[in-house]
Amino acid sequence: MRDTLRWAYALNQWNVRLDVFVRHEEQQRALKTVSACGFDTIELASGTGRWDNISRPEVILANHGSHEGFLDFLRRAKVQGVSSIFWDPQAPTEEEEGYAFRSTANPGDSDAIVEWAEPFVDFLAGVGGEQLVVRPVGSAWMSPPLDPDGIKVVGDVWNRIGELTSAAGLGLALHYDCLGAVHTQEELVGLLDATDPATVGLALDTAEFTIGGIDPVAFYREHADRVTHVHLKDTRYADAGEEYRMPGAESTMLKGGAGRRIERWFYELGTEGGLVDVTGFVAALRERDFPGWVVVESDHGGNPAELAMLNSWYLQRELGVPKS
Amino acid sequence: MSAVTEDERAIKWSYMDHWRSNGPTGPVDQWHSHKTMSAFLKQIKATGFDAIDTFDFRIWQMYGDYGGPAKYQEMVRDHGLERIVNTFHAADYDVRNYAPHLPETHANILEDFRVTMGRWSEIELDNIIVMPATLFYDMEPITEDKLKYSAECWNKVGEITAGFGVKLTCHHEFFCGIQSEPDIETFYSYTDPRYVSLFVDTAQHCIAGLDPVALYDRHAHRVSGFHFKDTRNVATGDDHRHRPDSEIMAPTTGKWFYEMGTPHGLVDFEAMMTAVRDNGYRGWISVEHDKANKEGGDYSESTAISRWYAKNVLEEIYR
Repeated sequence: MRDTLRWAYALNQWNVRLDVFVRHEEQQRALKTVSACGFDTIELASGTGRWDNISRPEVILANHGSHEGFLDFLRRAKVQGVSSIFWDPQAPTEEEEGYAFRSTANPGDSDAIVEWAEPFVDFLAGVGGEQLVVRPVGSAWMSPPLDPDGIKVVGDVWNRIGELTSAAGLGLALHYDCLGAVHTQEELVGLLDATDPATVGLALDTAEFTIGGIDPVAFYREHADRVTHVHLKDTRYADAGEEYRMPGAESTMLKGGAGRRIERWFYELGTEGGLVDVTGFVAALRERDFPGWVVVESDHGGNPAELAMLNSWYLQRELGVPKS
Repeated sequence: MSAVTEDERAIKWSYMDHWRSNGPTGPVDQWHSHKTMSAFLKQIKATGFDAIDTFDFRIWQMYGDYGGPAKYQEMVRDHGLERIVNTFHAADYDVRNYAPHLPETHANILEDFRVTMGRWSEIELDNIIVMPATLFYDMEPITEDKLKYSAECWNKVGEITAGFGVKLTCHHEFFCGIQSEPDIETFYSYTDPRYVSLFVDTAQHCIAGLDPVALYDRHAHRVSGFHFKDTRNVATGDDHRHRPDSEIMAPTTGKWFYEMGTPHGLVDFEAMMTAVRDNGYRGWISVEHDKANKEGGDYSESTAISRWYAKNVLEEIYR
């Protein structure tokens, strides 16, 4: 995809479970699909263990020998590079203290989380990526609401990691999600205020914002200077109020286990009944000459290939993005 | 190779419209609803195909759900595709009334095509594609007389379709009565090149043990189109003799067809594309991977990968 914006595609939906996306041949099929849809750059998502050989930095390098070896693997499918990696330090992993559970909201965990960030920073720099995209804080249902002091603790961790990414020539983008303990617009702005604009930016995910009750177009227009990364996808639903606080909201809310029992929240661009003003949002990005990556996702939507193709059609036909 | 503009392209790519997807009510094809049709057309366009091919039997859904072929083609165009290029006339080949090697059934076949071509006449088609013989087990033993009667039948059918501006072209399934190299050669020796063309299906010929590139080179002057698809298996024993359809029922192979570029594929597509170039072919190549969903496959992914292969491998040879 080629226009004034830089477009990439996220691989997250292909890697939905431990061992389903491990064979290099399967990964090549996904990469070729993304390439056929007109994207030559991808976003990776972090993972854990020896099966996550396109997710966990050490395992990628063990499979491909070097950063250049991994890039050669991508280029076989005519994918030229990596825009970014998504990392959630709240998601326990084998490599980090044997599935230790830590939180950015706990000051006692800060040193460990900063240390955990290093392999991602090194890998991303090694493959020529630009943004480390992170989940800034755990889910709201797991802890009491954050007060300003709590938000400052979270911000301090990311400021330290922002120094690391900055020193490596990378950006750090905090990815707001609809379940996070930083939930309201006021809380989000508070977190941004608690971080250094020179080293810490925001990853604006249009569907997550909309579900969480924040208008992505209005927010972008007001805070464009802090938005350094975009995830573009749609949703048909918004949180009715406090659904994100349901115990186990990852399952009870986002997988339809309780409440309104909505099993699918995320949709392709152009979906019927979509709540995101995609054309308005992209127009706003163009107005401001947004310099970052706009990453389109099939995330939690369905058949990843089908959604990549539908998203590509939307970009080409509705947003007027030339394919190449 | 030097840059070729969109208008200068010698080759355009059409997608033969086999499809399955999973909807809220379970597996469906694109004709399930306007919504599923729209999703199908978007995916075909998004990956870079220029048009679609379809099946003759879909004409009833075109009339019933869309108001006819012209109206359906409007929907195709609304999604950014050029048109419907070819239709595949998938007849039942009942030996009681529809068997090209049996002259007593020819009147019925000719009438079928007079009616069929009338139904399609509101749009421009390049080819109407036929399997030129009954199933193998209904035609054997294959004799020169039977090949001659079949050729005579298609000569007459081709004259009818030519009257509508459409080429009659023959697609030799590995399980039909005219699939071996000598039988194909004999059959074409009796056909009239003005009225009967050859449509090369790369996988079907490979499965039948033929080299599709050599076959194409021999008959290039009368080849009016292609199905570019791959296979990993050659038919053995009596694979070609199973009711109702060896593509489904042959005991040795659960899945015959794969998208272009599949590992261990038997079709030499680079040689094929080189031959297409060297024979000066200009026009449409149809991509097909019927039954792609078997054994865990996925139509969307296969379609994207086949177009990836066309762009990154074949168009480097000729476009």
